[in-house]
Amino acid sequence: MNCLMNKLITPIRIGLLSLLLMLSTSFVATANDEPSPEIPEGIVKLSKVDPARNVGFLMGDILDRTITLEVKKPYKLIETTLPIVGYEHRYKGQVSGIELRKISHSTKENRDTTTYVIQIAYQVFTTAPVVKPAILPAEVVKFEGPATEEAKDGLVQYKIPEFYFRISPMAVFGAVKIEDDMSPLRQPILLQPYPEKQKLVACLVVLGLSLLGLLYILGSRAWLPLMGRPFAQASRQLRKLSAKDPEQLKTALSSLHKAINTTAKYSVFSDNMAVFLAHAPSFKSIESELNEFFALSHQVFFDTQSTAIHDKNTLAWLKKFCKQCRDCERGLKPAKQKKA
Amino acid sequence: MSDKQLTDMREHAQKLETEINKVVVGQQTPIRLITTAIFSRGHVLLEGDVGVGKTTLLRAFTRCIGGGYQRIEGTIDLMPNDLVYHTYLGEDGKPHVSPGPLLMSGENLSVFFFNEINRARPQVHSLLLRVMAERTLSAFNKEYHFPHMLVFADRNQVEKEETFEIPSAARDRFMMEIPIVVPDDNAIMESLVFDTKFHNVDALVDTIQADILQFDQLNAFSALLQAKIEATPTLRQYALNLWRATKTPTAYGVKVSGVDMNRLVLSGASPRGMSMLMRAARVNAWLSKRDSVLPEDIHAVFHSTVAHRLVFSPVYEMRRTEIARELLTGIVNAVAAP
Repeated sequence: MNCLMNKLITPIRIGLLSLLLMLSTSFVATANDEPSPEIPEGIVKLSKVDPARNVGFLMGDILDRTITLEVKKPYKLIETTLPIVGYEHRYKGQVSGIELRKISHSTKENRDTTTYVIQIAYQVFTTAPVVKPAILPAEVVKFEGPATEEAKDGLVQYKIPEFYFRISPMAVFGAVKIEDDMSPLRQPILLQPYPEKQKLVACLVVLGLSLLGLLYILGSRAWLPLMGRPFAQASRQLRKLSAKDPEQLKTALSSLHKAINTTAKYSVFSDNMAVFLAHAPSFKSIESELNEFFALSHQVFFDTQSTAIHDKNTLAWLKKFCKQCRDCERGLKPAKQKKA
Repeated sequence: MSDKQLTDMREHAQKLETEINKVVVGQQTPIRLITTAIFSRGHVLLEGDVGVGKTTLLRAFTRCIGGGYQRIEGTIDLMPNDLVYHTYLGEDGKPHVSPGPLLMSGENLSVFFFNEINRARPQVHSLLLRVMAERTLSAFNKEYHFPHMLVFADRNQVEKEETFEIPSAARDRFMMEIPIVVPDDNAIMESLVFDTKFHNVDALVDTIQADILQFDQLNAFSALLQAKIEATPTLRQYALNLWRATKTPTAYGVKVSGVDMNRLVLSGASPRGMSMLMRAARVNAWLSKRDSVLPEDIHAVFHSTVAHRLVFSPVYEMRRTEIARELLTGIVNAVAAP
C-alpha cells in the first residue's frame, strides 16, 4: 500500500517543484525587464571613479568605472539586474560600438547599510574619421525593499549616471578625404605591417642570393655564360707558366689537350679531329693551328728521337694558340698567328 | 743498315698494298690490317658473309709473299687428322698415306687458310690452337715446324646451325679479327658485278706481281722492326689505361646503349692480346714512316686486335659485334693521352 502511495505522490511532488521554479523564473524575468519605480531619495548614496580623461580614446581602448552604492537596509541589490558581459548598448536600434567587457561586484554589510562596489570595464569598438561623441550608458540596477504604494512588489530601480567621452579618429591628417568617407560602416584602418615587410624583403634578398649561388654552381662556377670555359681556364693556367722550366711545356700541352677534350666531351686525337671540327665548326678557322698543335704534342710526348724543342717561342706560340681557341669557344673570329 | 732495311721493306709493303688493291677493290682498310698482321707475324680471323672476296684476298696476299698456300674447309665431320694426313688406295691396290694440308708444303708453308672455321669441331680447334701458338705439329713420331706460317681463318657470323663457337682461348691466338664487308661505293659495286676481270679469280690473281716479299725473311725483319720502333713512357701509360678500360669500362665512364655495364665484361683484353696490339701498332707506325708509336697507331689496330678477345656475359654474346664496336669506341673516346 505504502509502495503504491509513494508511486502516486512522487509525480505530484515533481509537478509542484516545476510550478515553483516557473513562478520564480517569471518573477526574476519580470524584475529584470519591466521598469520599476525609482528608489526613494536618500536610500542610495553613490560614489564613482570614472576614467581620468574623457577624450582621446581609440578603437580597442578599455574604459574602467568603479561604482560604489551604499544602500540603506532593508534594500538589497538584485544581482541578476546587473548588466552582463557582451552587453552592447543600443541607441535608437543602432549599436553604439561600446561593449561591456568585464563586470564584477562585491558586497559589504554595515550596521544600517549595505555597500556594493561594482567594477565595470567597457571596450570601444567603433571609430570615425572625425572625433566622435560617445557614452558609457546609464546602467539600471534594481533593489528589493519593503512594499509601498508605488512599489507594491517592493521592487525599485536606480540609474547609475552615464559617462560622456570622445572617441578620436585613427586616420592621419590628410590621409583620408572626409567628404568621400563619411560612411559609419567604414572598416577600421589597418595597421601598417612595416616589420613584416622588412622581414619579407630580407627573406627575398636571401632567396635571391641563394638563386644566384645556385646559378653559379649550375653554370659550372662561371658568372657569365662565356666565363670559365675550358680554354679560358687553360689560358689562365698558361699565363702562369714560364719558359725557363722545360717541364712546363708539357704542362701547357696537357692543359690544352684537356681543354680540347672537355670542349669535345671525348678524347680528341689527330685521327678524329675531323669529327671534332664537324661538331665545333667555330674551330674550323684554326684547323691548321690545331694540326700544328697535335704535331707538336706528338713530338713532345711520343717521339723518342725528337730533339729538345723547348724554347721561349714554343711556349709563346702555345699561349697565342690557346687565346685563339678561347676566341673560337666564345664564337669570336680568332687572330691568325705565325707558325711556331 | 737496319734503317735502310726498314725503308726498303716499307717500299715493298707499300708495293704489296698497291698490288692487292688492284684486284680487291674497296677494301683498303682490311688490306692495310692484313699487311700489318703479316709484318707483325700474327694470325688473322676474317669475318664476313660468303662471296665478299675473302679467298681472293688471301690468294692475292699469298702470291705476293710467296711460300706455300694451303686451304681447308671447315665441316662438321672434319677431324684433326684430316689436317695432318690423307689416306687412299693407290693404283697398286695398296693403302697409301699422303701429307695433309698442314704438312703438304713443309716448312715453306706461309699461309694456311681455314675456311668457315666455326663449322669444325672443337677437336680441330684444339689442334689448330697448338699449331698457331707454337707453329709445330707432332705426327708420325716426328716434330714438324712451320716457322713462316700464318693462319687465316674465316667464320660466318650469320649462320648459327651446325656451327661450334670458337672458344675464347682459340680466339685469343688470332692477332686480329678483320671484318670484310661489301663496299658501299656505287662505282665499286658496279665494277664488281659488271667488270669481267673480276669473274675469273685465277686470272685476276695472276695479274699481281708475285713474290714482292720473301716469306722466309719476314720473321727476322719483324723482329728488327719491333726492336726499332719505340714507345715513350706517355704512350705506354696510354696503352695501359686502354687495357684497364677493357677490364673495367665503368671506371672510365664508358657506356653502351641498352647494356648493363656492370654485367657486360667478364674478361677484358689478355696480356697476350695487348702485346699483339702493340706489335701491330709498331708496324702501323713503321708503315706511316715513323720511328715511334703514336696513340693514332694504336687506334688504327685497336678494334681489330681487341674486339674478339673480350669475353661478354652470355646474354650479350648474340650482339657481340655491335656491342664490341660501341664499347671500344667508347674506350678510345674516354681515355685521354696525354
